[in-house]
Amino acid sequence: MATSDRAWPPVRLQVVDPQRFVVYGVFVVVFVFFAATLHDDGFLTQTNLLNIVRQTTPITIMAVGVVFVLSAGEIDLSLGAVVALSALVTADLLQDHSAVLAVGAGLAVGVAVGVANGLFVTALVLPSFLVTFASLAVVTGLARSVTDLRSVAVENRDFAAIFGSGDVGPVPGLAFWALGATAVGHFLLRYSRFGAHVLAIGDNAQAARATGIRVDRVRLLVFVLSATSAAVAGILYAGRLQGATYTLGEQDLLTVIAAVVIGGTRLFGGEGSVIGALVGSLLMGVLTNGLVLWGFSASEQLIAQGTLLLVAISLTLRGQRADG
Amino acid sequence: MDIRAGVQAAGLLAVTAALAAVGVGCQSANDEPAASGTLRITASKPLGKTLGPNGEEPTPASALRLTNKEIARVRAGGYTAALVWHEQSDFTTALDEGVRDSFRKLGIRVVAETSANFDAAKQKSDVETIAAKHPSVLLTLPVDPVVTASAYKAVAAQGTKIVLLSSIPNGMEYGRDYVTMVTDDLFQMGKRAADALAAAIGDKGTIAYFFHDANHYVTNQRDQAFLRTITNSYPDIEVVAKAGIADPNRAQEVAGATLVRHPDLSGAYVMFAQPPGEGVLAALRANGNSSTKLVTLDLDEPLALDMAKGGHTSALIIDRPYELGHAMAIAAGYGLLSKPAPPFITGPAITVTRENLAQAYQESLHRSAPKSILDALGR
Repeated sequence: MATSDRAWPPVRLQVVDPQRFVVYGVFVVVFVFFAATLHDDGFLTQTNLLNIVRQTTPITIMAVGVVFVLSAGEIDLSLGAVVALSALVTADLLQDHSAVLAVGAGLAVGVAVGVANGLFVTALVLPSFLVTFASLAVVTGLARSVTDLRSVAVENRDFAAIFGSGDVGPVPGLAFWALGATAVGHFLLRYSRFGAHVLAIGDNAQAARATGIRVDRVRLLVFVLSATSAAVAGILYAGRLQGATYTLGEQDLLTVIAAVVIGGTRLFGGEGSVIGALVGSLLMGVLTNGLVLWGFSASEQLIAQGTLLLVAISLTLRGQRADG
Repeated sequence: MDIRAGVQAAGLLAVTAALAAVGVGCQSANDEPAASGTLRITASKPLGKTLGPNGEEPTPASALRLTNKEIARVRAGGYTAALVWHEQSDFTTALDEGVRDSFRKLGIRVVAETSANFDAAKQKSDVETIAAKHPSVLLTLPVDPVVTASAYKAVAAQGTKIVLLSSIPNGMEYGRDYVTMVTDDLFQMGKRAADALAAAIGDKGTIAYFFHDANHYVTNQRDQAFLRTITNSYPDIEVVAKAGIADPNRAQEVAGATLVRHPDLSGAYVMFAQPPGEGVLAALRANGNSSTKLVTLDLDEPLALDMAKGGHTSALIIDRPYELGHAMAIAAGYGLLSKPAPPFITGPAITVTRENLAQAYQESLHRSAPKSILDALGR
């Protein structure tokens, strides 16, 4: 990555905008509401709260990658398919090979898809929406064929413990993955030259190129980062579920984008927040959890979730509109 | 809301006779030839039976019974239940109503319900979330037997009684981890489809076999039962095309290609109605085909309308989700009373033709047929 010593202090002047913190307020309000109304239904139990962390970690990891993609003014629709293929490749290799090889292969899936996406976008000057839409189809097909639609069980206890099923004391190991990814992502975006370049390209690619930024290289890296984050999410799914199936990640894309945008990342580039994405991801998890514990039917959960999201988006995006 | 309330009221009335109804249904499914109006269907000799995922022998749902004394004991327990479904559809709506109507009778309160939309990871999260409420019983259709297993085992370990529908998560043991598994009489459904298609084409001709190209216990059993029956019981019928459909949304493309090679098919079997049955029907229409007869599974409005109008669709083989829900609820009562339930329970099937189409909606889904179908039937 393009991190250098000269990147400290921050290369980009930070302007504190209260609107950027709305997501934290929304999260607190939603959490306190559920805590007050569901305290007899197990919402505040340690098990339930840690389950929310476990359930949202793959979304958080993907969200970190998507912050960079959106901040650069691009989109990556292939995330969910990468999750499935990475999880299946890892789970399949774990049956006869070492965990190191299996995890390496899972990560390689992400890197390969990211490089392919990035090259098509930069070398052939194609829109990322269409490129990643096409790679979504290719990778989905590969995920379906790699094990002939079979689910694959993971019986490697060490792998499962490290990648999703283990705890460190009372804290789930997944929490460390989420915090680690957030810390690395936050540092990259806020305190590295690479992050500054991503934001500059998302703000105005032509101007960024004129200032000497290697726009294509940064864009390529952004796609590699995005697909690799999806591969990590897939590996963590395999560890948490102790198995993998071709449908993993299929429905995660919109949740990830919602978490990222609610967290303060501009949908069309130029501004991003990794910590906001973490909070957005937790907000999505708390909403799902609280609505289930409320006893809503599945249809009512969708209606309530959509309505609450609309409120959250309205509040958090007002500031972005005001910024123009 | 009014329609829903009406259906629920009908369901409440029906629940009092549900055990008897299940019994009648099972008898019809297993023993009686399904002679249906102008399409005279003769039941062939059964060449197999539905076995559980681990080879369990089937027990009809009608065999599940709770005495008044046992019902009173369950009612006195103040038990709670969670429903963890795989999707939302007509099937799960009727299933849900069957469960809830029976639970009302048993005094069991539903405290949570989820739908995974076929997302195994979401279903695992759903089960974990629901565990926080410590329900007494959990009724569920596991989306994937591999990746949901750990969550179900954890809930079973905390003392929740689990009743399964159509799938057993890996490593779960009957009696220890779950009360029983309920499913359709899958062999009977495939066999009925074969008998109906044979009748529709006069017991001779060429057919295409569109099967589910996936590792799926329910569809695999039904498809194989169809193929086994049609190839062994109807020697004058030739299966000229066997086309696997991995993605149900792409059935029209698969069927279109098949019809190019075999434009004069007498009939076609499709693994289930929505969306692959609709896709094959669309392909037949797009190819200008007006003679090929179609048989598939599940009650689906576009196909039912085609049948009502005398189109390609000759028969739909359907199950009775309301009764499956009732059986699951009674099985939950077994679990709460620590009364051993049979390990593998099957619900009945119905062969639907134009003649019993309107009635089939009530029998299967406990609601009236859509207006479009009643209009097409001239009612």
